[in-house]
Amino acid sequence: MSEKVVNLEINGRGFQAREGMTILEVAKREGIPIPTLCHHDALEPVGACRLCMVEITHPNWRGWKGLVTACLYPVEEGLQVTTESQEIHQVRKTILDLLLARCPDAPYIQKVAAEHGVTATSFKKNEVQTVCILCGLCVRVCAVKGCNAIGTARRGIRREIAAPFGMPPPDCIGCTSCAHICPTDAIPWEDVNGVRKIWDQEFEMVRCVSCGRPIMPVTQLEFEAKRAGISPDYMTTCPACSQQKTLETIRTAFTIKRPASEDAVEAAS
Amino acid sequence: MRINSVKSLTRAAGRARGERKRLETEVLVCAGTGCLANGSMDVAEAFLGAIRRRKLEARLKLGFKTTGCHGFCEKGPLVIIQPQGIFYKGVKAKDVKEIVDQTLLKGQVIQRLLYRDPNTKQRVEQYAEIPFYSKQHRIALRNIGKIDPKCIDDCLAVGGYTGLAKALTEMKPTEVIDAVTESGLRGRGGGGFPTGRKWKTCREAEDPTKYVLCNADEGDPGAFMDRSICEGDPHAVLEGMVIGAWAVGASKGYIYVREEYPLAVKHLQAAIEQARERGFLGDDILGTGFSYDVQIARGGGAFVCGESSALMKSVAGEVGEPRAKYVHSVIRGLYDKPTVLNNVETWANVPWIITEGAAAFASLGTKKSTGTKTFSLVGKVKNTGLVEVPMGITLREIIYDIGGGIIKNRPFKGVQTGGPSGGCLPEGKLDLPVDFDTLTEAGSMMGSGGMIVMDDRTCMVDVARYFLKFLVDESCGKCVPCREGVHQLHQTVNDICAGNGRPGDLERIEALSDVVVKASLCALGKSAPNPILSTLRYFREEYEAHINDRKCPAGVCRNLFTFRISPEICNGCGLCAKSCPVDCIAGEKKEVHVIDASVCTRCGACRNVCPTDAVEVI
Amino acid sequence: MSETSIDPDRVRSILTRYPQGDGSGLIHALQDIQAEFGYVACEAVARLCEHLNIPLSKAFSVATFYKAFSLEPKGETIIRVCTGTACHIRGSQILADELSSLLDVEPGGTTKDLKFTLETVNCVGACAMAPVVAFNGVYQGNVQPGALTRKIRGGK
Repeated sequence: MSEKVVNLEINGRGFQAREGMTILEVAKREGIPIPTLCHHDALEPVGACRLCMVEITHPNWRGWKGLVTACLYPVEEGLQVTTESQEIHQVRKTILDLLLARCPDAPYIQKVAAEHGVTATSFKKNEVQTVCILCGLCVRVCAVKGCNAIGTARRGIRREIAAPFGMPPPDCIGCTSCAHICPTDAIPWEDVNGVRKIWDQEFEMVRCVSCGRPIMPVTQLEFEAKRAGISPDYMTTCPACSQQKTLETIRTAFTIKRPASEDAVEAAS
Repeated sequence: MRINSVKSLTRAAGRARGERKRLETEVLVCAGTGCLANGSMDVAEAFLGAIRRRKLEARLKLGFKTTGCHGFCEKGPLVIIQPQGIFYKGVKAKDVKEIVDQTLLKGQVIQRLLYRDPNTKQRVEQYAEIPFYSKQHRIALRNIGKIDPKCIDDCLAVGGYTGLAKALTEMKPTEVIDAVTESGLRGRGGGGFPTGRKWKTCREAEDPTKYVLCNADEGDPGAFMDRSICEGDPHAVLEGMVIGAWAVGASKGYIYVREEYPLAVKHLQAAIEQARERGFLGDDILGTGFSYDVQIARGGGAFVCGESSALMKSVAGEVGEPRAKYVHSVIRGLYDKPTVLNNVETWANVPWIITEGAAAFASLGTKKSTGTKTFSLVGKVKNTGLVEVPMGITLREIIYDIGGGIIKNRPFKGVQTGGPSGGCLPEGKLDLPVDFDTLTEAGSMMGSGGMIVMDDRTCMVDVARYFLKFLVDESCGKCVPCREGVHQLHQTVNDICAGNGRPGDLERIEALSDVVVKASLCALGKSAPNPILSTLRYFREEYEAHINDRKCPAGVCRNLFTFRISPEICNGCGLCAKSCPVDCIAGEKKEVHVIDASVCTRCGACRNVCPTDAVEVI
Repeated sequence: MSETSIDPDRVRSILTRYPQGDGSGLIHALQDIQAEFGYVACEAVARLCEHLNIPLSKAFSVATFYKAFSLEPKGETIIRVCTGTACHIRGSQILADELSSLLDVEPGGTTKDLKFTLETVNCVGACAMAPVVAFNGVYQGNVQPGALTRKIRGGK
């Protein structure tokens, strides 16, 4: 990212930002709320949900005014941004209204819509039951993981998130990142008796060598170890146990006496 | 036979012209997609057979070739005999013997094969005298129909690649850009962005790797200008692209062609190979040291790939999803490199501008829309086909003078321009000059040049529904307003057409359209409500009739009308009964016929064939 | 549906036309597979993905995004009704409906006996002869309702 600093205004207040930052990044830093559905700080923005639309007045193009997505628009010297206006609210309300028609039963969408004053959709409800809003976070996180197991299928109103050819995805490692990042819990998964089920596939879990609790699927362990360039053996302890182990090591090395209170807590649990 | 200098190009062109001059008569058979569908290959083979058998080549110093589209597709297969300029239409293979005997051997014109003006009923002998052609001004289509597109020598004979030679040897890249800027050329693909400015920004972009692309993904339904150019004069497109590459400093490019255009792909591929062989493409073009090469990228069938960022994704082998263009593709385009993308017609204009000069181009058309524009004039118009006219001509001149008016002289209702992103204009707008800005102001747009004429039997609500359905199918589905919003618009209009419209629907449509326009990610979504907004603007009463009276006055929406044969008008000819696919029309010859409404599917076949207009909509 | 078995040699001969590891060849290679087998068969696509070094999910996205590809085998005769604007206002919807009820398939579908696939296409660029119907790529212009019924019944 460039080191050049630009001056911009958001809602009448002046800010400085590094060139290349987006409006959303600057607003977040300054605590100015802009609603989003398809955004995650760790992932490349795509501008799919359009909820983060803000109004800009462009310094150059003869004072051009218009709506842009805050998650994608790069800040520029002299840019003026308005994050709230009647027009912006109308756009956000309509988008949530449309999403509520798509997913009438998604609690998260009901909640966000209600926050924007939409309690019931004014459009025709979707006949197909779904809670997926097609924000694409799952596909992007899967790509960042390096798996690319799932993707979009088809287009337009028939677009969906899918495993290739509707079969259990061969590249899936069972990490559940997709399910965890999903804002509407649209991707079902479960861990039962040391076996994980997701995307119509079962994954055998590795158990912690200390406590015996399931940590992660064998496939994920092998994938992560290979990516990190370490032996899988280093990863066979669960986070809690490995923290415990580290503490033990430090204590042994520095012979710090355990405080009595900690023993009491452990005994109680 | 590589051509390594301007001198050797001049010699090659001279040789090719000499070959042509040697001929005393030339027979040209149109082999564009339209004529091929009408059977022109059989005609061509019949000619070839006759020429071989009767040794006409030597006897008459006769030349024969198949050419690209002459534009007058409806009358195909077309045969033209030069230098006399005799124009035969609707020629069948069995007519060939007569043409050889009468016209080629005796010099007599066959009356029945001549074009008959539908208004004056006069037979017209000469190509140039047919009103369909006489009002046209051909720049982009300059060679089409005159040359054999598969033969590069034929192209050289009419001055092909002289623009390239001039640009490479007499002009600096910046001078080429200046010429294009001064010509006033604006993108013919729809947006109308000034071509020179696009090239200049790309040239000035820092990255040394640049691309020059051609958009031949003519996706607008009802438009086939680009198809005809790629089929009929592919070298003009290539020449334009090499000139553009020289101007911006690109060494590689792609032509993105629809897979629905197999003939265009074939001719472009052949042209690329010939151009490489002759040294107009590839390394060291015309011995100047400049290198640029082109590859064909076949589209996979997605309208959204006409959008520049989606097209570039598709060229790279990905899903054609547009991205936000806050950084323009001239700065970050294909593979994130500076990229110039122009459409077929724009590229075909470039060589002409270089050879004839920017001023010649700018002198045509209007001040802000210079030059000519190609349109595919289709729908309920007498002469359908491809026309190229100076900008600024009125819609009325195109539809009535060139198009010959409405079929069966029915009342004109509207004209749709600009494809799914455009709109429908009513009779009151017929005298508007056709240029980029006027059409946009009127609520439509130039688009790539589809011009669909509609008569009183076209339902404007159905037209809006048609385009919305198209856009629902073609939306990539990435952003919410386009994916969900256009889908909801379509559902509402569907309900209206089915007779389930509700009061307030029109206001809801307008409110939702406003958000779809403002909030969609790409031009497809932003312009998706145009067909509905423009029809609402000019034909609101038709929507109201559907909603309030449950009537489709045009007789298209099947739930909202019935057909009846007027007993006062019916002359009992029986054509309706013959045309009915469900046999629901009864009546004795010369007596009044009756439709059984309980069986009738309201397909309208009877109404189309009735010579007395006795089939009424009630 | 009986699936044609995919001959690995035919797949291999398609793959050799595309440089290894270059994902930009994906769409063209899928077009070749579609042309060779009449559909983009899963096993052929999997081989292609290995060759081009791209994830199967990406190839699936592309194969389902573009209209040129079909995941299922098509019929012997592919009937494409042009539904471009010019064809639409000259009644192509009636033709599509007629064919749909005659063959008992929705547009995009294939008859159970694998004889016919009915498709609609946005515009074949033969607008001057609207409405146009193409039978295995051979265009027919100015098609009237009723004529199709006769043609299909005759061919059936």
